[in-house]
Parts: sequence; C-alpha cells; structure tokens
Amino acid sequence: MKLTGLQKQVLGLYRGFLRAARTKGSEERKKIESIVSSEFRRHAKSIERKNFIYIEYLLRRGTKQLEQLKNPDTLSLSTVPVRHHPS
Amino acid sequence: MLFGKHLRVNVAAKNQSTKFVLSLNLFRRNFSEEVRGSFLDKQEVADRIVGVVKKFQKCDPSKVTPEAHFQKDLGLDSLDTVEIVMALEEEFGFEIPDNEADKINSINVAVDFIASHPQAK
Repeated sequence: MKLTGLQKQVLGLYRGFLRAARTKGSEERKKIESIVSSEFRRHAKSIERKNFIYIEYLLRRGTKQLEQLKNPDTLSLSTVPVRHHPS
Repeated sequence: MLFGKHLRVNVAAKNQSTKFVLSLNLFRRNFSEEVRGSFLDKQEVADRIVGVVKKFQKCDPSKVTPEAHFQKDLGLDSLDTVEIVMALEEEFGFEIPDNEADKINSINVAVDFIASHPQAK
C-alpha cells in the first residue's frame, strides 16, 4: 500500500514521539508510549480520512507537543479526561 | 573496513560519521558487544527479526514467518508497523531514517535492509 504525503507525516510524527519517549525514564517511557499510541489510534478511528483540515491541525498541534516532550526538562506526559456533555 | 577493533572512517564520509556518533550515543544502552563494522549474516538477521516480531503483542506468533507481510499476513496497521520498525532499531542498534522506515512493510524487506546496513549490530 502506497502512503500519501499526509499519512507519511502522521507516521513520522508518531515515530518522533516514540523516539522522544526513549529518552525518558523507563516507567515514563511506557506511560508515554501508551498515551501516544492510544491517542493516535483513537484519532485514526474517529476522524474521517478526508478531513484534511482537521488532520493538518492535529499534525501541527502534535508537532508542538512533541517539541515540548523533547525538552530534557519534560519528564513525562499526563492526560486529563474530558467529558463531553451532550447539549 | 575493519582493522582489529578499529573502524576506519573515510574522511569524505563526514556526514555519515557524525550520524554514527549520534546513534552510538542514543543507543549506548544496547551496546553489549564490541562495535562490528561488517555486515551481519542474512540468516542471523532473519532469525532475529522473526524473534522481535513474534514478541509484538498484536500478532499471532504462529503466523510470523520470514515471508510474512506486516499488514496482509499479520493484520497489523501502519502505526503497528512503525512500532515494529522502532523495535528493530533497538534490536540492531541503529536509527532507521523515516524515508527508509516507510518502505519496510514485510519481514523480507526488513531483512534485506538490515543485512545491507553496515551499522547494524
């Protein structure tokens, strides 16, 4: 299967996160890998393939988050559950 | 070329030698053996790759053969493939650049790439 440019960017970002996780402690590494993996998979399932605008937005957001994670002062990642209330 | 334990680095290959030092630092943890500057035996590479893929949680170890295609035969998606290639980097102690990593979609392709890579350990 041939990958599109956008898919390559997403996979490249995923790879970047996994590389950054390697530079952290082993406990944190596992935690980061688990969060990153579930976030990418959640979005892969929920976002329409052709929603380029939103995918590009997430790529930019992810790239910024990756830059923060790469900082040696950043030790780990954490998530806050957000509940969406139907209005 | 290998002279005893010393790797002779061509002066012209400046970029490559920088990369080598970088990957040495990144993967220092995995350095248990001396640095070998030659190519690995293809059969050994194939066996080690099959071993790494078998350990991957999401695939059925009985389906992992040297001919297996990650997505068609093992039912993995592209994110899983990224994880496998990253695990291969750690197993063989060198970093695989994005454009090469994107091409690795089966065990055979991985074996050919790693067996022809001088930095693979």
